[in-house]
Amino acid sequence: MKKSLCVIFSGVLLASCGSSEEIKYEQYLVNGEQHYLKHCSNCHQADGSGLKDLYPPLAGSDFLNNKELVICLIRNGMSGEIKVNGKVYNQPMPGNKQLYELDIAELTTYIYTKWGNSKEITEVSSVKKTLGECKTKE
Amino acid sequence: MIKNIQFIFVFLIALAAFSCSDSQRKLPYLGNKQVGENGDTVFHTIRDFKFVNQDNDTITNEAYKDKIYISDFFFTSCPTICPVMKTQMLRVYEKFKDNPQVGILSHTIDPRHDSVQVLKAYRDRLGIKGNMWQFVTGEQDDIYEIAQKFYMVSAMEDSAAKEEGGFVHSGAFILTDKQRHVRGMYDGTKEEEVTKLIKDIQLLLSEQP
Ligand code: HEC
Repeated sequence: MKKSLCVIFSGVLLASCGSSEEIKYEQYLVNGEQHYLKHCSNCHQADGSGLKDLYPPLAGSDFLNNKELVICLIRNGMSGEIKVNGKVYNQPMPGNKQLYELDIAELTTYIYTKWGNSKEITEVSSVKKTLGECKTKE
Repeated sequence: MIKNIQFIFVFLIALAAFSCSDSQRKLPYLGNKQVGENGDTVFHTIRDFKFVNQDNDTITNEAYKDKIYISDFFFTSCPTICPVMKTQMLRVYEKFKDNPQVGILSHTIDPRHDSVQVLKAYRDRLGIKGNMWQFVTGEQDDIYEIAQKFYMVSAMEDSAAKEEGGFVHSGAFILTDKQRHVRGMYDGTKEEEVTKLIKDIQLLLSEQP
């Protein structure tokens, strides 16, 4: 009993040893996944593979190269034809007006870590800046 | 020790009884039952219907004559549960698409937006071929009426339901037998419920060969 307490305690100590930056990153990933499962995976599927020719994949998508555009489309949605990995999709995606900038930052961090080969946080400040410059507002 | 053996014994009997009942399990008849003129039970039956499909062809109950069919209610621009329902219905489609005794009937509840062309594009993009799975539209009131009174699910317009895209509707899949009696309702957003539906379709096929 004492031993297990000890183990737990040292685990906590070890975890808190990680830099605060790392902890923040972990936090972003955990919350980002929650947002993804709530707002996105219905269409893009939990594994990011998309659904047939209706909903494009995020996993392996060349569209992710343009992060600004992705941040804007999470907020505003999009419609009309788009090309993902050379394939044409054309189905409206609804926007997410209800998400806070922090939510979008967490979500973007999660998506880019999982499918965009990135290991860094998308900061709230840069989400704010990007959203201010989106082409389609409201 | 003796207690233990007794327990195992009881457990085995329960198991046998259980597995027995499963192989002979019969699907229930859902909805109101009435007693007919000659004293027979008259089960709840889906009324005759007439809709227009993705190819602008008229689809009536005749198209589902001698078929077990699964129905649902959705709309193409639905942001929330419909994509999940379609993901799950695709499992049913893949499993039974070559079986002429099984059909799928998806009704739009947003006929103003979901025209024949919109339904066709949506269906094509889902990769559906042949006439096993029909996507139909029609008069909005007619669709809502058959949904609520006959398939026993909710479907209505509600501008307060912004997050759901302006409609309130159920994610149910309704299983109907060859006489258009409702034999099962499943939550089309849950993988395990749809697994059960697939099993029940097989059961119904053996009941109504
Ligand atoms: C109702 C279904 C639906 C939901 C929910 C949805 N999307 Fe989309 N998404 C689409 C469709 C459809 C497109 C293609 C848009 C077009 O054809 O113009 C798309 C395109 C995209 C693209 C660009 C193409 C690609 O595949 O890389 C990204 C990135 C994306 N969505 C991310 C998200 C994120 C993040 C969320 C959650 C906030 C989300 N989507 C929620 C349907 C959806």
